[in-house]
Amino acid sequence: MPRMTGPQVLLIEDDGKLALDVAEDLGVRDFVVTVVGTGPEGLERATSGNFDVLVVDRMLPGLDGLALIEQLRRQGSRTPVLVLSALSAVDDRISGLKAGGDDYLTKPFALAELAARLEALLRRPIEARESVLHVGPIVMDLIDGTVLRGNRLIELLPREFRLLEYLLRRPDCILTRDMLLEDVWHYRFIPQTNLVDVHIGKLRRKVDAPGEAPLIHSIRGAGFMLRISN
Amino acid sequence: MSTPGSIFSTGTFRLSLGSAGFLAAALLLQSALIFWQTTSYQIMRTDLMLSREAALITAQSRPVLDQQLRMRASDDLHLLIPGAGLFDAQHRVLNGNLPVWPEGLQPDGPVRQMVVNPIGQGPRSVRAQALRLRNGDILVLARGLRDLEEVRSVVLRALLLCAVPSILVALAGGAWLSHRALLRVGIMHRAIDRIMSGDLHERLPAGRERDDLDRLAGSVNRMLDRLEYLVDEIKGVGDDIAHDLRTPLARVRTRLERARSSPEGGEFMGEAIERAIIDLDQCFAVITALLRIGEIENGRRRAAFATVALDELVADIFDLYEPIAEARQIALVVVDCEPVRVHGDRDLLIELLANLIDNAIKFTPEGGRVEVGAETSGTNAVLHVADTGPGIAPAERVAVLARFYRSDKSRHIAGNGLGLSLVGAIARLHDARISISEAGPLPRLGCLIEVTMAATSIGRP
Repeated sequence: MPRMTGPQVLLIEDDGKLALDVAEDLGVRDFVVTVVGTGPEGLERATSGNFDVLVVDRMLPGLDGLALIEQLRRQGSRTPVLVLSALSAVDDRISGLKAGGDDYLTKPFALAELAARLEALLRRPIEARESVLHVGPIVMDLIDGTVLRGNRLIELLPREFRLLEYLLRRPDCILTRDMLLEDVWHYRFIPQTNLVDVHIGKLRRKVDAPGEAPLIHSIRGAGFMLRISN
Repeated sequence: MSTPGSIFSTGTFRLSLGSAGFLAAALLLQSALIFWQTTSYQIMRTDLMLSREAALITAQSRPVLDQQLRMRASDDLHLLIPGAGLFDAQHRVLNGNLPVWPEGLQPDGPVRQMVVNPIGQGPRSVRAQALRLRNGDILVLARGLRDLEEVRSVVLRALLLCAVPSILVALAGGAWLSHRALLRVGIMHRAIDRIMSGDLHERLPAGRERDDLDRLAGSVNRMLDRLEYLVDEIKGVGDDIAHDLRTPLARVRTRLERARSSPEGGEFMGEAIERAIIDLDQCFAVITALLRIGEIENGRRRAAFATVALDELVADIFDLYEPIAEARQIALVVVDCEPVRVHGDRDLLIELLANLIDNAIKFTPEGGRVEVGAETSGTNAVLHVADTGPGIAPAERVAVLARFYRSDKSRHIAGNGLGLSLVGAIARLHDARISISEAGPLPRLGCLIEVTMAATSIGRP
């Protein structure tokens, strides 16, 4: 039984079975999901209801997913939208984002990936006011490039610094490998090797010294998380 | 089933029809020339004789002249000289068989072609001349063109006699040739029908390629050879892909089945499901890679082309792969890297380079070395990746870049095995040339892959 306090998701998807699975999985993850099967109905619910995030399939009966998003944006809605598509074409992804989508996910996708991306859309990354990120025991100076954990200075390569900065801005948030590749390295292909794991592994050895409470966690079947809450 | 059609609609028959037409025209032209030549000669002769006759007659005294004119009107000569008449200076008839002055005739003028109407003979086409006598009277002599008419009818008869059989022979020949061509086309049609119904081994009868139809059939056969090769290749690839998908799927199935019947629940179940998902992801990776290759090969991606600095690409990819190489105790180094720009799709070129490095690291044993760089060669930019792995056998070097190629060697290595196929597709989209060679002399073998493409600018902008 999902708590009524969870984020409200409107899922506009015509594949009924997939929609049901997605809704159940998101329900377990504390999302409150409303499912509609057609474009016009989706547009109507999106306009009238008060949703925190929309998941829109690209190909919908009645009204195409991209047209729906464009119409929604014209009406001034700023609700974040994640586009789902069976098409893998990269150009397609670009057109999805151009139409006003905030993220794009290709079918088949892992349910954990969808949940992580929705979470990321719901939470704005932390803005550094004084060019210093202060997250948990870590203090990152964005100007002179130094990182302290407590009193311990952490020496980082530029790429490790970028990766840690990304993690620090999204604490307690599951970050998938694809998200990291896309956002930290700006790569849109899926490498055949576990690149991200190796990068995270190296960073973790520097951030979590022996004896310190681990900050960077691997989330089984999903990705990674910088955990500062208990 | 396509129908061969009638012989009248064949190209050969139309060609013969055209030839027959040209033949008829040539014969007509020839006859016209003969007729024209003969006519000129005849007229010249007639005029000459007319002048002599006139000179002879005008030399006579007046009574003899009258006498001769009367005789001329009645004797056999009137066949040759049908008209003769004496007129006074005002063109009034004095004697002879011409009832009126021939209109348009000039006394002492040139010989003229005209129609006269001698008494008792009806209108006739003649050559006529008028001569002024010493007393002012005018003598008119008209000579018929009887010979000319004969020549004309002879020529016409000859023309008909020649032309009709020639044209008939030409048409019959054309029909025969067309029939033969139709037979050959019919054989080809049947062969094509068999090919279309699925028998790709069938070929058209091409003979020794002596004529155009044979040469065309030869070309079609070569096309069929290539098509058959490609179809076989795709079939082989299809089998390979089916195999690559079936193996992990079979594992998934077995694992799930065991999990279902297992008395230990909980942890074992979770483990089984976890591994099933990993195997399914591998299936998806193969499918995604195939779709991606197809997408790139369709060449619709040039829209994203822009100027790309290859040296920056190399630096980025080094950054991404260096930890991996380090983890495997392989030295990844950037060598021979100079600033060079190309026109291309940055994301795809990154993917190309990533696949090359990925492969190099995968196949290089521990303690080995992978070198990457971008340099200029003339007006070209060259991306190069060298490793100290086992290398690629010369026989396989072309095949590995082809669409959907999987080396047997790569089957036990993680990944979808389609990396180099993807590299090949991206290179083709960029009109880039890929060469594969040994990275160095023995015993330090290994693989050197170079991607050569046109540079837009060399050095820093």
